[in-house]
Amino acid sequence: MQSNAIARPGKDYLNSLVKGPILWLLPLVVVLVCFYLYPVLDVIRYSFTNAKMTTNDFSYTLRSYATVLTSQAFYQGLWRTFIFVGISVVFQFLLGFMIAYAVEHGERLAMRGTLVTRTIALISWAIPGVVIGVIWKIMLEESPSGIFNYILSLFGVPLTDFLSNPNNAIISVSVANVWRGTAQSMILLYAGLKTISYDVIEASLIDGANFWRRLWNIILPSIRSVITVNVLLNIINTFNTFDMVMSLTGGGPGRSTEVLVLGVYNRIFTQYDLGRGSATAVILLVINIIIALFYIRLTTKEEGK
Amino acid sequence: MKNRKTFLKASLYFLFVVIGVFFLFPVVWTISLSFKTMPEMYRFPPKLFPGSFYLENYNFVINQYNILAGVKNSFFITVIVVVGTLLVTIPAAYAFSRIQFKFSKVLQFSILLFQMISPIVMLIPLYRYFSRIGLLNSYTGMILIYIAVSLPFQVWFIKGFLDTIPIQLDEAATIDGCNRIQVVTKILLPVITPGIFSASLLIFIRSWSEFVIPYVLINSPNKMPVSVSLVNLQSSLTSITTQFLAAGSVVAIAPTVILFVILQRYVVSAMTAGAVKG
Repeated sequence: MQSNAIARPGKDYLNSLVKGPILWLLPLVVVLVCFYLYPVLDVIRYSFTNAKMTTNDFSYTLRSYATVLTSQAFYQGLWRTFIFVGISVVFQFLLGFMIAYAVEHGERLAMRGTLVTRTIALISWAIPGVVIGVIWKIMLEESPSGIFNYILSLFGVPLTDFLSNPNNAIISVSVANVWRGTAQSMILLYAGLKTISYDVIEASLIDGANFWRRLWNIILPSIRSVITVNVLLNIINTFNTFDMVMSLTGGGPGRSTEVLVLGVYNRIFTQYDLGRGSATAVILLVINIIIALFYIRLTTKEEGK
Repeated sequence: MKNRKTFLKASLYFLFVVIGVFFLFPVVWTISLSFKTMPEMYRFPPKLFPGSFYLENYNFVINQYNILAGVKNSFFITVIVVVGTLLVTIPAAYAFSRIQFKFSKVLQFSILLFQMISPIVMLIPLYRYFSRIGLLNSYTGMILIYIAVSLPFQVWFIKGFLDTIPIQLDEAATIDGCNRIQVVTKILLPVITPGIFSASLLIFIRSWSEFVIPYVLINSPNKMPVSVSLVNLQSSLTSITTQFLAAGSVVAIAPTVILFVILQRYVVSAMTAGAVKG
């Protein structure tokens, strides 16, 4: 074996290459550079041009940013995105936590039906976003035989235009997104709750602390980092949601549910305005990176502990 | 104390039912609608279950609309993406877990950063390159993008599994004369098979759900994955044919939902493993 290696320097070289990280990381780096890094840099370049999708010539200018940053439509889109993200994240967390707590507690009490509940609560995670949009559109059907309208009518609520009224539409999209994203919240918080040692909770039970005090003083502080990770991931996922909104409202009525990502898509692929679309995409990118940096800071802090 | 426990259990059961209804109802309603006739669909008050197993809606989406072509395309794309992602991810995860080098941490966190970027941002220039080199409407380039977007999470995920394996195992194998490649293929891979299995499941479900990438890059109906195919069906139908759309949705979600329900134990452990690390 050894004499073989000396006789063939080529193999020796290969061996030393295998020892280092380069060969192992090469495929990853190539794919990421070609399909992430280079395109992202190119979008930044386009954002400083007046390029159109239909032609190949363009010149460099700051006009795209000027137009985007002074247009009311952009700020309206940003505001809609914030409402969408805000409602989604708050309720995904609250619902996710409630379910995680119930399921985790049910497991401790060895209750029947716990596993079934956990599985059902996670089903939405296995359903493609576009299909979730389609399903909710079916349920929010605005005629009296639409199921949501029917159920609400049993409680005396008049016929509601969930999707054709601009103010209702953004709420409807957010509710559908809560249904979609609660599964991920639930599973993360559930994993967090499982790490709390039961002794701590038992001790507080003996001390006679009531549920809310126990929640506030023991449970929530113990899973603080999981909560932060969870909220950040929900923010980023909701922020980048395209599929579900596309099939549920397509951004309408008017532009009332055109969140930032959808705005970028429409600007570029239906209006062919590459410069302005890219400028909006770069703003989106900056927001993405800011959230990511928060996330990374948190992860490194946790690792340092 | 005993009373208290009974009360607790009763309220938990109540909660279970509420959770069950909230998450299951939309799916049940869609399935029910997919078996309804048009008059049944417009019936007031609506009925939870259809009068009979009316199969005409499925007949339409399968035989007239050919939604199964989309399902077949999704399977094809997804399987290649699972294999491709693993081939790129496993060596990288190994390097991050076992080889010490400068910039290892920096590189790992820049990968995390990529994960947070909306695919639409990269798709803008990628669309232009692909149209220039004739890769629009083909799987070749598109599959690489699918792989690229599933890489960041998977590198961290598989590295997490490798980190749980004691390095002494590698050392013993090295003393026995294994080089790094042999350590990975003969020692580590067999040990982390459950992890690879969970990873494959996650990649599968993610790729099956992928929408924006094929929506931008594919425009010929016979190449579309089922997600895009369903949106096209939606835009070609009017509201009086919602039952067709319901049938289409059931066909589109059946593979992943069934897979998920059967293998939910692995999915949950995979996701919680990711969570605790995250």
